[in-house]
Amino acid sequence: MKMKKLFQFSVLSSMLILSACSGGGEQAAGEKEGKDGSGGAVKADIGVVSYISGPGAAYGEAITSGLKLAQKEINAKGEVDINLVIEDSAGKQDQALTAAQKLINSENVTAIIGPTLSTEMNVVGPEADLSGVPIMGTSTTADGIPQIGDYVFRNSIPEALAIPASMKKAIEKYDAKKVAILYGNDDVFTKSGFDTMKEAAEDMGLEVLTIEQFQKGQSDYNAQLTKIKGLNPDLILCSALYNEGAVIMDQARKMGIDVPFVGGNGFNSPEVIEIAGDAADGLIVATPWYGEKEDPKVKEFVSNFEKEYGKKPDQFAAQAYDALYIMAEALKNAGEADRDALRDALAEVKDFKGILGNFSFDEEGDVVMDPTVLVIEDGAFKIFE
Amino acid sequence: MLAELINPYHFQVASFILINIILGISVYITLSTGQLSLANAGFMGIGAYTSALLTIHFDLPIVLGIIAGALVAALLGILIGIPTLRLQGVYLAIVTLGFGEVIRVVFINWESLTKGSVGISGIPHIGREILRVLKGFGFDPKVIGLQNNQFIFLSIFLLLFIITIGVIWFFRRQHRSRVGRAFAAIKLDEKAAESMGINITYYKVLAFAQGALLSGFAGALYAHVLAYISPADFAYHRAVEILIFVVFGGSEVIWGPIFGAFFLTLMPEVLRFISEYRYMIYGLIIIILMAVRPQGLIDVNLLNWVKTKGKKRGQKHGTGNTKSM
Repeated sequence: MKMKKLFQFSVLSSMLILSACSGGGEQAAGEKEGKDGSGGAVKADIGVVSYISGPGAAYGEAITSGLKLAQKEINAKGEVDINLVIEDSAGKQDQALTAAQKLINSENVTAIIGPTLSTEMNVVGPEADLSGVPIMGTSTTADGIPQIGDYVFRNSIPEALAIPASMKKAIEKYDAKKVAILYGNDDVFTKSGFDTMKEAAEDMGLEVLTIEQFQKGQSDYNAQLTKIKGLNPDLILCSALYNEGAVIMDQARKMGIDVPFVGGNGFNSPEVIEIAGDAADGLIVATPWYGEKEDPKVKEFVSNFEKEYGKKPDQFAAQAYDALYIMAEALKNAGEADRDALRDALAEVKDFKGILGNFSFDEEGDVVMDPTVLVIEDGAFKIFE
Repeated sequence: MLAELINPYHFQVASFILINIILGISVYITLSTGQLSLANAGFMGIGAYTSALLTIHFDLPIVLGIIAGALVAALLGILIGIPTLRLQGVYLAIVTLGFGEVIRVVFINWESLTKGSVGISGIPHIGREILRVLKGFGFDPKVIGLQNNQFIFLSIFLLLFIITIGVIWFFRRQHRSRVGRAFAAIKLDEKAAESMGINITYYKVLAFAQGALLSGFAGALYAHVLAYISPADFAYHRAVEILIFVVFGGSEVIWGPIFGAFFLTLMPEVLRFISEYRYMIYGLIIIILMAVRPQGLIDVNLLNWVKTKGKKRGQKHGTGNTKSM
């Protein structure tokens, strides 16, 4: 009797799953259509996995707005016709993976842009690579992302490129020899930023006086800062997200530490100025995106973005915007919405002139580009000379 | 025919449902002795990390890694269980919650072993390993008309399905055994159970260890299905999520957590079409159901009602009564 019940339940549940499957399968088959017959625009579905709901939804919002703006402009030109299929990952690896599976298998997309976090990419990347779907991260800066496989790309400047660039400039200018490092050890972003800082400091022959840690959401950094102050460094390397980083700078300045700070990618936000005010002066970051750049492309993008969404674009929106342009460029060169053809075309993208600058992929699918080094002076980001 | 039916996306979701069902049952088991444990996310992490590290560094077969992960979690469950089970209710919940956090912080700080918050990638994937082994025997999924990745997800799903059925079967048997009766007695009244001659310490630790074993097991499976883990996966959110499966589905019968895990894992996927609003709907469904059915959706009464209903219908058909048609 009991076994019979069990059997009924299992049959029922597997039937449910199977019926769900067949629906998706048909849709996939129906949508599989690559090229517009008459040799006109290349039609392609591009999947997007983004962090749209949850605590980091602001990233996802910036990214999807950047993508949508780019899509509108690209489609208006008529060379390629891109249809974006946007899925939410809620910042979780398992959700990101199912979202990507849906895009790859049910929606039959030609390529994927996203996911937002490096941790998500670590899960989604190998799957996309095995399925032979080109995938491009627009905000994944951790080490080893494009090295996952041949189909994995990114257009976000990795920390391994950005942090040494800003450190080098800062050291040249201030003639620094002794540094202190401060980092958040419970976040992937800040932890991998720290690893890069430490390595770069060793490479540049700097004397690391101390390495101090803090945790997410901490509000009092006096213990770490007092120790750093006593050691009297020339520079402080700080791998923090902007919310903690701004508080750190505020407390450091109050304590009388007036040496410059060099921050990682997560520290690069206008919010730092909002939170820390004058105390934010002297923060040096390397960024792919500088909205005040004297470049007609950048100016046009900023004004279009403001018209569309009523606010200034941030780094994430700009990276996503460029990413779709790179996709479009590759699609145009590939001539058809074929996954393998698109991958090969992507790998060949060289000297692409986007709003971030002059962009190329290296042989691994990683970024080749010179980041802009910025410094906060009198409450605004300026180019660091 | 078969190839058209198999969409890796659906099998991926189904795999997560099955893993979540095992996690739901692990909380249900400890709850069936009246103890509220929030350490299951921690045990899950132990299982995941143990298995991942063993399979990566010592080239252990995945099966052994998963078993080792489950056993280490169970061992820790016993060690934690003996001193903390003197506590009850909220106090136990807080201690176990604290334990879960300790585990997570250990994962973050033991960098030489766990790579800290960056997490471990490149964990052997169950499906890909199965395919590799079968290919070694000269098997090609194309023989049965499947693509490689379709076969991978089909094999994971079938494997997890069999495992989950086995787990459910075991705990249903246990529920009707001497052990299950002892659990139920302890849940109703500890003092009375003790005076009846039930060794409550033994049974409580047993339930706790079973819960830990099962969470560790599920965690190890999770690691080998996702191929990447990081400490953030096993944080407080996960503990609450697992608890919600049980509270939502009902903690009186084993079908409660099974249904809870099934429904609450499927929901966000089904609601994908409304993108950013889906977690609002998800939250709303939970609030409404908790307001209407605080004991959880599935309880003993509901099951009895379904049973009698089923019997009646059977009789009617049997006697050829057409009135109800």
